[in-house]
Order: sequence, then C-alpha cells, then structure tokens
Amino acid sequence: MSDTNLIQPVPFEDHFLLSTEDLQRTLAIALASGGDFAEVFLEYRAFNFVMMEEDIIKETAESVSLGMGVRVLSGEKTGYGYTNDLSPEKIRRAALAASAIANSPKTVASIHLRTLPLTHNFYRVGEAAHRIPLEPKIAFVKEAYLACQAADPAVKKIKAGIQDSIQFVTIANSDGLLVSDARPMVKLTCTAIAEKGVLRESGYSGGGGRVGLEYFRNARDPKDIGREAAAEAVGLLEAKDAPAGEMPVVLSPGHAGVLIHEAVGHLLEADFNRKKTSIFWDKFGKKVGSDLITIYDDPTIPAFRGSYNIDDEGTPPRKTLLIEKGVIRGLLQDRLSAGLMKMPLTGHARRQDYTDMPIPRMANTYIAAGQTPPEDIFKSVKKGFYADRFQGGQVEDSGKFTFSVSSGFLIENGRLTAPVKQATLIGSNIDILNKIEMVGADLTFSLQTGTCSKEGQDVPVMDGCPTMKITKMTVGGHT
Amino acid sequence: MSAAPSNDELRGLAERLVQFGRSCGADEIEVGIGDGEEFSLDVRMGDIENLIQAGSRSMGLRVIKDGKTAFASSSDLAPETLERLIRNAVKRAELSSHDPFAGLPELPDRRIDPASLDLYDPEVSELNDIIKIDLALETERVALADRRITNSYGASFGTHEIRSVLASSNGFSGEFRKTFCSLSLGLQAGETDDLVEDFWFSSETHFRDLETPEQVGRTAVERTVRQLHPRKIKTQRVPVIFEPLMTSSLLGFLFGCIAGTSIYQKASFLVDKLGQPIANDRITVIDDGLMPGKLGTSPFDAEGVPAQRTAVIEKGVLKTYLCNTYAARKLDLRTTGNSDGGGVSPNNFYLEPGPSSPEEIIRSCAKGLLLIRTLGHGLNPVTGDISRGAFGLWIEKGEIAYPVSEITISGNLGELLKNVEMVGNDLEFRGSICGPTIKVAEMTVAGE
Repeated sequence: MSDTNLIQPVPFEDHFLLSTEDLQRTLAIALASGGDFAEVFLEYRAFNFVMMEEDIIKETAESVSLGMGVRVLSGEKTGYGYTNDLSPEKIRRAALAASAIANSPKTVASIHLRTLPLTHNFYRVGEAAHRIPLEPKIAFVKEAYLACQAADPAVKKIKAGIQDSIQFVTIANSDGLLVSDARPMVKLTCTAIAEKGVLRESGYSGGGGRVGLEYFRNARDPKDIGREAAAEAVGLLEAKDAPAGEMPVVLSPGHAGVLIHEAVGHLLEADFNRKKTSIFWDKFGKKVGSDLITIYDDPTIPAFRGSYNIDDEGTPPRKTLLIEKGVIRGLLQDRLSAGLMKMPLTGHARRQDYTDMPIPRMANTYIAAGQTPPEDIFKSVKKGFYADRFQGGQVEDSGKFTFSVSSGFLIENGRLTAPVKQATLIGSNIDILNKIEMVGADLTFSLQTGTCSKEGQDVPVMDGCPTMKITKMTVGGHT
Repeated sequence: MSAAPSNDELRGLAERLVQFGRSCGADEIEVGIGDGEEFSLDVRMGDIENLIQAGSRSMGLRVIKDGKTAFASSSDLAPETLERLIRNAVKRAELSSHDPFAGLPELPDRRIDPASLDLYDPEVSELNDIIKIDLALETERVALADRRITNSYGASFGTHEIRSVLASSNGFSGEFRKTFCSLSLGLQAGETDDLVEDFWFSSETHFRDLETPEQVGRTAVERTVRQLHPRKIKTQRVPVIFEPLMTSSLLGFLFGCIAGTSIYQKASFLVDKLGQPIANDRITVIDDGLMPGKLGTSPFDAEGVPAQRTAVIEKGVLKTYLCNTYAARKLDLRTTGNSDGGGVSPNNFYLEPGPSSPEEIIRSCAKGLLLIRTLGHGLNPVTGDISRGAFGLWIEKGEIAYPVSEITISGNLGELLKNVEMVGNDLEFRGSICGPTIKVAEMTVAGE
C-alpha cells in the first residue's frame, strides 16, 4: 500500500469544529435517561458533478452535506436525533431526542474516547478527485460522449456524466470508540438512445469505484464506457420480444450478480432474521441450495464501490461467508442485531447519511467461482434463455423475487441465437438456489455503478457471479 | 462556527444570497431554502422500536452567467459556506457551454395565496408523543388480534412539517408551509415456507383526514391474508384489472414518459405525439397543483411558477407534456409549473374516475387477473415496455377465485392505454400520483 492511496481523514476537529470533549459531553447527554449504548455519527461530504447532453456541457453542480446523528440503543429500542446545525444547543437537542426512548435516569460513568488507528486502507487513490478542478473531469465526460456518438449513426441522443465525492466520517460511542474514515468515490456513466424507424432503444454503461481520477486512464477507458452504451442501444434495435413461460436460464457473469444480491443477500441481513420475517431465519446451518453455491460478502476488496475501511458504526469490516456449499453460515450484522442475537459483528452496518440510522447492508456480494468452463454451460442447453444485462431486482422476505432483464439472447442447441429484450425473471429463492445446476469458473463483477435501496436508504454496492445455469425458471416476456 | 439563521430569517437569507450572487457576477440566480421538522415512530410487537426526531435545513441554488448554468446545494447554512458555494458556482458556470435555452422563467403577475390552498395543519405539530405512540400501537394491535397474522413489520406514525422559501433575481420571493402525516402497517401471514406479506397506509396533509388505526389495521390484514395459499397458473393472455395502487404505479410510469425532460432527450415512447390520440377516450389525465389540502399541492414550483391545473391527456388525446422552464423552451411549450429544481415532478397527477364500481369491474370479467402487487423494475420509458413480477387474485366467472403468485405481467404502456375497457369510480388521493381501478382488455400473464 503506498501512501498516495490514503486520503488522510482530516482531524475531525477541523471539519466539525468540535472537540473530543464535545463528543463525550454529547454521549453523556444521550445516555442521561438510561439506555445501553450511545453513538455520535459526524459526516461531511463534498460532491461534484458534470453532465454533458446534446453535445454541450449542460450543467455542473457542487454539493456540501454536513451533519450529526445521535443514536441511543435500549434493548430492542432505538432513539435517533440528527441536526445539520452543529451549534451546542442543536447538538444537545439531537442528543435529547435520541434519549427519549430510554426511561431509567442514571448517572453515566464518564466516557473516555480513545482513537482507533486504522492500519488498513481499501481505497486506491492516486489523484484524489475532490482536490482536482473540473477541467480534466470534463475531458473524461467528453471522451465517453464522443466515443458513444462515433460508435454508430443510429445513436441519436447521449447523456454522459461524471461525479465524485469525498465523505469524511467520525464515529464516537459510549464504549469509548473514536474512529474516522475518508471515503472517496468516482463514477462515470453514459446513456445512449438509438433509433431505427419508429423503434427507439436505450443502452447504458459506466465505471468507477473508490479510486482516483487516474482510474479513467489506467483501468477503465471512458471511450469504452461510451461505446458499450452505444452497443447496447443499437443491439436492442434488432432484439425481439422475450419468450414467456418456464425454461432453462443461463445467467451472464457479472451482471447477474444482482440476482444473488436480491434472492439471497437481502434475506441474510441480520435485522430480517432477528425479527423472523426472513424465510431464512430458522435455517441457520441448514442446507438451502445446491452444493455448487458458495456466497461471500466482502467489504474489503480494494477499490470496489461497495468497500469501506470502517462501517457506519466504526467497525472494521471482514469478508463474511454467507453460504458455503449450499449451507447458511453467516449473516450481515450491525451492532443492534448482533447484540440481541449474541453473534459477532461483521462490519455491515451502513447508512445513507447522517439523517439515517445504520442498518445491516450488503457491500460487495458474490458467488464464488465454480469449475465448469462457461462454454460447457451453453452447450448443455438445447432451448433456453440467456439473461445478459439487468435493470435491477426486488425481493420480499418470503423469498419471492423478480429481476428485470434489459437484454438477453435465446439459446438454441447450445448456441446464443436471437437477441431479445425486456423480460422479467421471477422465482422463489430456495427453489432457485436448488436449481442452480452449473457454476462457471469465470467469476466477474458488475459495473462499478450499482446502488442498493433499503428502507429508503441508498448505499453503493457491487455484486458478482460466474456464468450459471438454472434448470428451470419463469421468464415473463410477451410471446 | 457562526450561528445559523433563525426560521423567520430564512426568506431574508434567500433574498440576500440572490443579491450576493448578482454582486459576484451572476446574470441570474435562484435560491431555495427548505426547513423541516421530522417525527417518525415505529412500533413492533407492541413496543417502540425506533423513534426519530430531528430538524434540518437545506439550500439549493442555480446560477446562470452568459447562458451557462451551474448548480449547488448545501445542508450547511453557515454564511461563509453559502457564499463560497455561490462564488464557486459563478466561476464554474464558465466551464459549461452556452445554452440558449438556459435561464429563469419569466413569471406571470398571477400569484397564489398559500393560505387559500389549506396546506398547513397546526394540529400536526401540536400532537403530543403519547397520542402518536398510541396511534401506532393501536394500529398494530388491531392487526395482531387476527390469528391469521403471523408476524409484523411494525406500524409507523410520522409527521413532517416543512417551510419552503424561494427567491430569485427575476424578482420572485415567496414561501409556504406544509404539513404531512402518515400512519402505516406491514404484516406477514402464513408459515415459514409459505409466507405472504402486504401493508396499508394513510397519508394526509391534515391530521383529521387520516384513517383511524382500526381502518389501517383492518385493511392491512385483509390485503395480506387474501394472498394466502397462492396457486401457479399457466402462461396466457387475459384481461387484467389494476387495483387503485396498481393504477397509481402505472401512472407514475406514464408521468416519466410525458415529462418534458424525457421528451427532449428522446427518452420516451411519447416523443412527437402532441395532439395525437395516445389512449382511448376513457382516459383523461390531469396534473393539478391547486387542489386544496392535497399532498401534491403547492402555491409555486421550484422556479416560482404559480401552480396550475393542466389537462395532460383529454379523452385520449395528448394535450401537453409536463415541463419546467428549460424543457418548455426546448419543446416550444409553456412551463406547466412542474419544476422540482433539477427536473420535473408531479403535482397532483391523476386519472379521472369513470362510471364503474370496482365490484362491477370484477363482475365483468369471465376470466382474468386482479393485479394487487408488483415486484421489481421492468418499466422502459423509451419503448413503453412493461414487464414485472406480479401477485394477484384470479377471477373466474366474475368472482375472485383464488390468489396467484410467481407470475409476471407484460405489455406496453402505449397499447395498454388504448385497451382500457373500464375505469372505476374509486379515485382516492393517497399520494401525489393517483388513479382508480381500471380494466385492461388483455395482457400476457406468464406463469408455468
């Protein structure tokens, strides 16, 4: 790890104009009515954005977010207050609001905060985007835009944008923890609309992660992002309607990671299991899927969009085994659920920003590579559906899920044939996990642009998987 | 840190920031400030789970210099931060391209008195915590008393009070206050490997209009247990009846397709369709920002344009796209007062009710699907294609026969709008996008 990779968290006193004593005092106010635990979350985020559309740099934006959230835990109860005015009386009000769920006034033993030094860094930043003026970012946007435009005359409209942010967080709690992180993020995306006669289709691509601007020179060429968006839109112009009914389905490597995120990941978040709403709650240690399936969530993969040095409760994260050869082995934990379930922390407590309570979330979720060469998987399918690009998915606690496929192919006699568009895959997770009959050796990760939504909170995530075959799945198409 | 301004000073602050922006060289500048008080309570299994109380503020601004636009926003309202953001925005605007369509609206003299819209209910802020906790607890208690309910996601009661202030260099300065309150409940029924779930909610500006805990609790129970023991069905084409929440979700998709911002980007299947029939004559869709006491009502939009009633689709004919000033100039239309700062948002966007009761609509169906929930994305505005996971009740001989799950519905919004056979009389304003029950002649329902 080189020093250039680490954006040193600015001492929190400099961003927030608060001292260690101020934080200790706030924690004491929060616990004055009782409660098991109190925590302060301080956040300062700076965000920049450039957007190109209709051949011009149409707009730029800068955004600043500053605030504090105060949380008190008492048994299964959570009290939360937040403020974006860091004056002593507003901070006191937030702490009192958080304390409202507790009702056993007591004298709090004094809290002594001790800084937790971090010895790891999962961010890979050479040129920190937030310190660089807009001009080179504009140049990257133009590269993507112009490459998309040049890719095919059928491309009629393009929208390309680059955004970067730096999020400084400081977390202090009544156990004496004081820890800070500085989380960088960049993202470049391109959307293309292609036309042919009355047909109109769109395509999308992007890249980024917890990296510096050099990523767009060394790792991911903006021109490729533009060309990929164009290729998807133009390809869809030739696509037919998707078939409908039950059939064998092959999932593309990388893009289909969203399926694991939805069908399995969410239901292994600890809160749904503690409350016994997840179909998995009584299946810990039990077999729920094929031997071929091993699933991890790993927030420590360098440079990945879903990675972080500490979670939003200040816990250093670890690679967490969720499913091993079809057997449930782990849950994604936050402090509240881990405490009540008497299980270890995994570092998966995340929040969108200081206005939100942390809840168990995924980071980088993936299915481990299998041993089958992907070509053998195709060869095994006489007639089926290849789900290539996805728009997203949704799951409910019963395990029923859906995925929207934006583009795919028919598989006929072991080969990809006609391109098809807009289909929905549905199923029940345990059923599908048992029907995964082949897992490829080609583990791939999705575009570094994904966002996951839960209880109104959006956080950046990644997911990945190898090529996989599902024996039979319902495809919802037109014909 | 310097003290942030008090509430009464917010409008003065916005006006001063406009002057500051002009003095920094902005040709035009617009500053919006929001101030909110939030209360949110979740109870679960008879006890408080989460209690959130907070106040927060935010500022958003737009600067135009030489036809070049820059935006900025902040949750830090310290004067030095705001002034820095304005100076940066004026400088940054240089980096944008000249855009002849950029700029603030020319505002009409017409002004709407916020008081006439009945958007603020003082009772919402006066509710004491005991009453709020009791409302949520009672809602869940009603449901848990039903033995068919096996688990609870909890009941929630929330209130939100906001003050919106807007000032701009074209002489506009205005503000209004608005209240929201809501009561909701999520439930599970069935055993561990055959679970079903659903929820119900009531959301209003005025506390007195909120459904009672009894109503919310009972409705949530009924909506959940009716899905128990679902069957699978064969893939087929049948009539599909959309319940009001499903029609509302369809209208949300339609809104994205008639938004002026989607049209000039050609990101909609309704490009170049003005004045043409895009639906049959049973379909009239309105966007109305003037309805007193409704959730989507406000006296002016994020550009200070006064609210209006806009007929979007009249008896099937597309009358206008919904625009902010920029989209309107691009499309040579007039703004419809739908700016939300960055793009366009609905005011009260609804499908006008028809003559039929929901019962009549179900009776009219020899065989079909009553669509009660959807899951997933699968809406493509560029083509109008719809493909979603679905839950429903199967209809046979005009009666509800049994629940169905693990199905998808697919179709195309353009075709669907032309195939609406019946429109219900059961329009209710539960949000800013609302519709009654509708029956669509035929869609593909995929199952086994």
